[in-house]
Amino acid sequence: MSAVLHTDGLTVQFGGLKACNEISLDVNRGELLGLIGPNGAGKTTFINAITGFVPATGRVLFDDEEVLGWVPHRIAHRGLTRTWQSLELFGDISVRANLEVAATKLTPIKAVRDYFGSSQRVAARVDQTIDALEMHEVLNARPDDLSMGYRKLVGVARALVADSKLVLLDEPAAGLDRSETSWLAEKLRQVIDYGISVLLVDHDMGLVLNVCDRIHVIDFGKTIAIGTPEEIRTDEAVIGAYLGSSGGEEQ
Amino acid sequence: MEIYLQFILLGIGSGVVFAALALGLVLTHRASGVVNFAHGAIAMYVTYVYSSLKDDGAYPVPPLPNPFAIVEGILSWVGITVALPDFPTFIQMGDEWPWWAAMLGAVITAGVIGFLFHYLVFRVLRYQPPLAKVVSSVGLMLILQAAVVIRFSNRARNVESLLPNDGVDVLGTTVPMDRFILFGLMIAATTVLYLVYQKTKFGIMTRAAAENEQHATLLGISADSIAAVNWIVAAMLAGLVGILAAPITGLNPLNMTLFIIPALGAALVARFSSFWVAVWVGMGIGAGQSLLQIMEIRLDWIPDINLSQGLPLVVIVVAMMVRGQVLPSRGAVERGRLPLALPTRIRPRVMTVWLILMTWLLIWGPFEWRQATINTLIAAILAMSLVVVTGYVGQISLAQLSLAGIAAFMLSSLATDAGVPFPIAPLLAALVATFFGLIVAIPALRVRGASLAIMTLAAGVAIEVFLFKSDGWLAGDSPRRVADPSFLGIEFGPNSPFWFGDGKVPSPAFGLFVLLVLTGCFIAVIRLRQSMLGAQMLAVRANERAAAAAGVNVQGVKLAAFGISSFLAGIGGTLTAYKFGTYSMESFAILASLSLFAFSYLGGIATVAGAIYAGTLYQQGIGTLAFEKLFFDLGRYEAYLAGIFLVITALVQPQGIDVFDRRERRRIAWGFMVLWRRMTGNPDRTKPEWVTRIYPIYPKPQEAVAEAPEKVPAEVGEGGGGS
Ligand SMILES: Nc1ncnc2c1ncn2[C@@H]1O[C@H](COP(=O)(O)OP(=O)(O)OP(=O)(O)O)[C@@H](O)[C@H]1O
Ligand SMILES: [Mg+2]
Repeated sequence: MSAVLHTDGLTVQFGGLKACNEISLDVNRGELLGLIGPNGAGKTTFINAITGFVPATGRVLFDDEEVLGWVPHRIAHRGLTRTWQSLELFGDISVRANLEVAATKLTPIKAVRDYFGSSQRVAARVDQTIDALEMHEVLNARPDDLSMGYRKLVGVARALVADSKLVLLDEPAAGLDRSETSWLAEKLRQVIDYGISVLLVDHDMGLVLNVCDRIHVIDFGKTIAIGTPEEIRTDEAVIGAYLGSSGGEEQ
Repeated sequence: MEIYLQFILLGIGSGVVFAALALGLVLTHRASGVVNFAHGAIAMYVTYVYSSLKDDGAYPVPPLPNPFAIVEGILSWVGITVALPDFPTFIQMGDEWPWWAAMLGAVITAGVIGFLFHYLVFRVLRYQPPLAKVVSSVGLMLILQAAVVIRFSNRARNVESLLPNDGVDVLGTTVPMDRFILFGLMIAATTVLYLVYQKTKFGIMTRAAAENEQHATLLGISADSIAAVNWIVAAMLAGLVGILAAPITGLNPLNMTLFIIPALGAALVARFSSFWVAVWVGMGIGAGQSLLQIMEIRLDWIPDINLSQGLPLVVIVVAMMVRGQVLPSRGAVERGRLPLALPTRIRPRVMTVWLILMTWLLIWGPFEWRQATINTLIAAILAMSLVVVTGYVGQISLAQLSLAGIAAFMLSSLATDAGVPFPIAPLLAALVATFFGLIVAIPALRVRGASLAIMTLAAGVAIEVFLFKSDGWLAGDSPRRVADPSFLGIEFGPNSPFWFGDGKVPSPAFGLFVLLVLTGCFIAVIRLRQSMLGAQMLAVRANERAAAAAGVNVQGVKLAAFGISSFLAGIGGTLTAYKFGTYSMESFAILASLSLFAFSYLGGIATVAGAIYAGTLYQQGIGTLAFEKLFFDLGRYEAYLAGIFLVITALVQPQGIDVFDRRERRRIAWGFMVLWRRMTGNPDRTKPEWVTRIYPIYPKPQEAVAEAPEKVPAEVGEGGGGS
């Protein structure tokens, strides 16, 4: 099996609203898959469902293992991590501590050993991530005090540092300017080179069409198109969905 | 069978009070997103005002700070005793007031209190995190409660009934008429309020503001004035019902204050939004308690353990288990942040000085100073238990002293009754407290913020009733005794001999023992802050969802925090037991828990050093003693001042003294230096490096780069290192 993530008929119901309706999606190993759709299409809900934050039905196979119904931290430990549209950083510990928290799989025994100072810290992986993302200069700052671009970066770093196989990025480019976005695109390609797969949700069409290998488009919780950037660019259904929705993509 | 019906109907008396308070909680929560722990205290205070006006024609003036008292104190240093004018304690107006005039005066007072609470406190705190709001309402509760104790003493007060209480025959039993009148009045009041909130523009605006304050503001609704009206209505209703029901429930400074707990249960079931659910559940709890009382007496198979007192806790726990996070969020942005959990560094020089000072006080200090130092040290340990659970993980626990009490009572059973030797007995006792702490934590795992505060408050009261009261499981009849601890033949209790000092109690040996334990706890909690578990705790505090997504086992971390915190509380409890030798439950009553929380917040709830400040200021600690030596006897004012300082801290300096001190100390010193240079004509205005070291508490990215200390990679420098 080459898919690192495979969902089958994933459905999330909020009262009468099906925020995700039978979504079947594959992320192949080493692939950068884009997930796009107009505002309210269900992209964030999809991410929430596969990371254990909202109840869902259907199947979610991650690395050939059914993870639907697992608690979020277990899913994260398994290697499926995410960022948040609204950032949600740990505001009052340093950036480095943010990464350390995400890099540690703390069991009670490890916690005790670490407390008494005899455990191996997770420094190596944290340093690696910091090197890769070139974020040395903000290591000791608090996330609350950083610029938007850096905060996004900390969010991405926190998802990467956990030794993950697949990261789900929810609108990492929102709030970034053009140069920051192209810098981010470059970093995303690098991440793929490390052998990590990425699911990218973003409204910045330029970014998505540029960096993604394949793109999955949803609207009103339903899949409306899957294909390469070229195919998506000219897809009738996609154009219709974006024209029909009030929230345009390229603001 | 009739007797059960009779008791159910009798229970409506207190049930109506619960219902009115629950209704008030719903109103004030709608108005400003606050769970007002002081609501029962408002009813209690207002009823005292009524009773004082009606019986004595005297209006009680709330205790006000009198600057002359300080002057008197200072003059007494040089041996001058003068009596400067003081604020009047009562304003005398005639002999007795007719009931309606007294009621009018009291209800107006209620309205004023409601308005002031809103205007001075909760309006200001609107965007602050729940911790600040809980802290303030607990502070207000302490203030009202202490104000009544200061003016009227602790004794119960007799309130004459306004309502006729001739018996009425219902279904073969007789019940006083006042229950039915109260019931009718309550239903009528609820109907009116319900209609007003459903049908009028004001009601619709209140609901709009409660649902989404920002939208409401856009619609031109002044959330402020709406909130004010809601507060006033809620407070007046509480006062009115308090006055009418006091003859049935009885009146003393504590009972009506604690009616807040069943009321909170009812409001929780109503999700802080439905009037009718709140009212019916409130009445139901009253009726249920009354029924349980008679069942306990009549039915042999029910143990006589005051079951009825546990009913509110059961309602609260069930409401939380079934509904999870029940407090709806109000769509208001939280701009405020939690107190910074700065790492406390062990600064050898500061610590040495402090240890020498403590040691000196403990050995050669006069009796009262030795006593005060011991009190301070024990309080600091108890405050540390709050640093772990509230400071690091953001979980508000209002039952710490109940847990401490469990350890104390266990210690007396283990060490004195069963003869378990020294280090084992107190450790076991603390573990039992840990066990109870975890029991409290398990239903609390799914909730946070104000809900958790409600749950722990109810648990604290239940522990007090079931375990500590004279007929409780742990207490027994006689006061509990704890023998002096000894290890390897060395005794170090309060009565043990010591080589130096005056040979009187408390023995320096005990003081030094407490100091040793405190130092151990101090280092242990500092270490916790630096460990991975500590980082995860802060991650959970910052954002539970994000922590879970980052692989943090949120529930596990919370349980660990509750466990560690309860263990520390347990250690504090065993030391308290040793200190007294013979003690009663008063040291572990719920009000003591609340005031511990108050002082911990005041000292700085998120830092270990803050706990030391908290201990210093704690009741009967060094701070109080020093103040009394310098100025005047605080006596009953202690709890009152604690409440006032608590509210002021929450409003002005939510970081508490420790962080305030660290942040401002250097700035102030630098200010003086500049002044000195100006005066001496020194033109040098360059800031030395130590001044700029204050700022890393909020580093701008560039500054953080410039100042990132290489030795301490894991944390932002606190700026005060190694001074
Ligand atoms: N917790 C919830 N309860 C009820 N409805 C919800 C909930 N979360 C999301 N929804 C609804 O589900 C739909 C999908 O929302 P979602 O946030 O997944 O959209 P999205 O594609 O991420 O949009 P955007 O691009 O604006 O972020 C929306 O109609 C939203 O209102
Ligand atoms: Mg989204």
